[in-house]
Amino acid sequence: MPDWVIILGVTLGYLLASLLVGLASGGEASKTTEGYVAGDRSLGFVILYFIMGASIFSAFAFLGGPGWAYSRGAAAFYILAYGTVGLVPWYFFGPRIARLGRRRGYVTQAELFADRFQSAGLSGLLAVVSLVGFIPYLMLQMTGAGYVFSVVTGGRMPVWAGALLAYGVVLIYVFRSGVMGVGWTNTFQGIFMMALAWGLGLYLPHRLYGGVGPMFDAIAKAAPKMLQAPGLGADGHPWSWGAYSSAVAISVLGFGVWPHTFMKIYTARSERTLKRTIVWYPTFQMFLVPILFIGFSGVLAFPGVHPADKILPTVVTSIGLPPVVVGLFCAGALAASMSTGDALLHAAASVTIKDLWRPLFRPDLAGDRERRLIQGLVILIGALAYTLAIFAHMSLVALLLLSYGFIAQFFPLLCATFLWPRATRAGAVAGLLAGFVVTVIWNFVPVLQWQGIRAGIWGVAANVIVMVVVSLATPPMDETHVAAFVVS
Amino acid sequence: MDARPRFMPSGLTRHQRRVYGAVTIFFIVVFFALMWPVYALFSGIRPIVLGMPFSLVYLVVILAASFLVLLGVFTWEGRAEGGPDEGDGRAADGPGAQDGVGRR
Repeated sequence: MPDWVIILGVTLGYLLASLLVGLASGGEASKTTEGYVAGDRSLGFVILYFIMGASIFSAFAFLGGPGWAYSRGAAAFYILAYGTVGLVPWYFFGPRIARLGRRRGYVTQAELFADRFQSAGLSGLLAVVSLVGFIPYLMLQMTGAGYVFSVVTGGRMPVWAGALLAYGVVLIYVFRSGVMGVGWTNTFQGIFMMALAWGLGLYLPHRLYGGVGPMFDAIAKAAPKMLQAPGLGADGHPWSWGAYSSAVAISVLGFGVWPHTFMKIYTARSERTLKRTIVWYPTFQMFLVPILFIGFSGVLAFPGVHPADKILPTVVTSIGLPPVVVGLFCAGALAASMSTGDALLHAAASVTIKDLWRPLFRPDLAGDRERRLIQGLVILIGALAYTLAIFAHMSLVALLLLSYGFIAQFFPLLCATFLWPRATRAGAVAGLLAGFVVTVIWNFVPVLQWQGIRAGIWGVAANVIVMVVVSLATPPMDETHVAAFVVS
Repeated sequence: MDARPRFMPSGLTRHQRRVYGAVTIFFIVVFFALMWPVYALFSGIRPIVLGMPFSLVYLVVILAASFLVLLGVFTWEGRAEGGPDEGDGRAADGPGAQDGVGRR
């Protein structure tokens, strides 16, 4: 039997297992919007831990992480750095958010902000920005899944068919099981990814160099700049500290406010469960270390791989591993793509209905009809992202960088919601708009990109200044209403 | 209305304020330690520790330290409350917690 058939068989076996796990979890939540979107606020530590870990670690981490380490060396360390403190604000804000969600019925991020600032328009604005961030992110995951199948079959299965197969499975379990499907499949996929990352990350340096130490010794002698932070830029020249530091800073600010991860706060069974998840999250983050080892293992052994993101499949398929192991690797890469893609798909549909459609056009929408609309939108958004991923030729990286800058603008809003009673609706909206405008301008005008500092950083600065000035210039909001949110 | 930002609930004891204050300062220091100019001081290859360049070891140590500090706070909160770990919102103290809610 040809190797590619065995590899494909293992990969399809993984897909089938994901589907079964996803479908089996469908009966665990009630048939309400709260059940479909927030799992009836009943998720325990293990599922929440894997939801957080696996939905954050996407195809970018699994394929892009080694790609960065391979082509840009220590620049890839920024991915490890920002996750160190990115979730820490949740430890302090999370319990309050979960409690407010339980009392006031929130299941999305924008519901919280819209309630604090008494603005349906703000809810719509946040929903649109979230979708602008979600779609390219989802497209990347779909393309990644398609590539896996294409590589597995030696090009016999085109990218479009691979993406269709993997995301057909995702659509089925997200449609039927909602967040419970996302949770249980992420647990399965997360364990799979971690085992594979540690296994490969330690095995490859050993196989190619005799160990992790000899591998770094060899790189230090042949290409020392690769290991010296901040590593190399995309052009192969040393990266600037401004670009590295601002990449870390903007990612820290944006990390905890991505709406698809933020809304998982509402799914926690208790505040203690939520805090425990945040405490243990760095153990998931640590799995980036072997992921980076995989990329470094290719630096001297497999020079000239282009694009760099293909270094992981290249190494795995070039060192004579048994086809079953190669199949497991492919399944791991699929797991990384699907575990993020399912959370994005579920969140995009929920946000569109809960934050955009209902507050602005159908305030009376509720109950079963609302849940069915969200389910319908899962299919629609899945189809839209798939069509764009396969047929539209746009720069996803540029879109993603821009959306990161946008999403980070939610962080000042989060702080103002809980820490500053004087923040007003006008201040919040004006600050957000200023942040978006500055981010766009700084992103597209090269002369403004001083020291390579990310556009989003300037956006956050503008956001904070405008929010403070406009809030102080407008009448304060009702004290009793604000007291329900602000630390006191 | 008072325009000053509020960082901690007024009902915390002095000891709790000190602990949460120290933890907040720790994480602010960590945030800046991940970037220039602090990280630039530790960005070299040597000394190699556990086979890894120091630029990577430094970040792994910070990640481990952050984990241990947060784990310490979590354990301390659990002991202070003396309650079951998986309660229904009773472990609600700390910066960001609602005044008095969930405390025993």
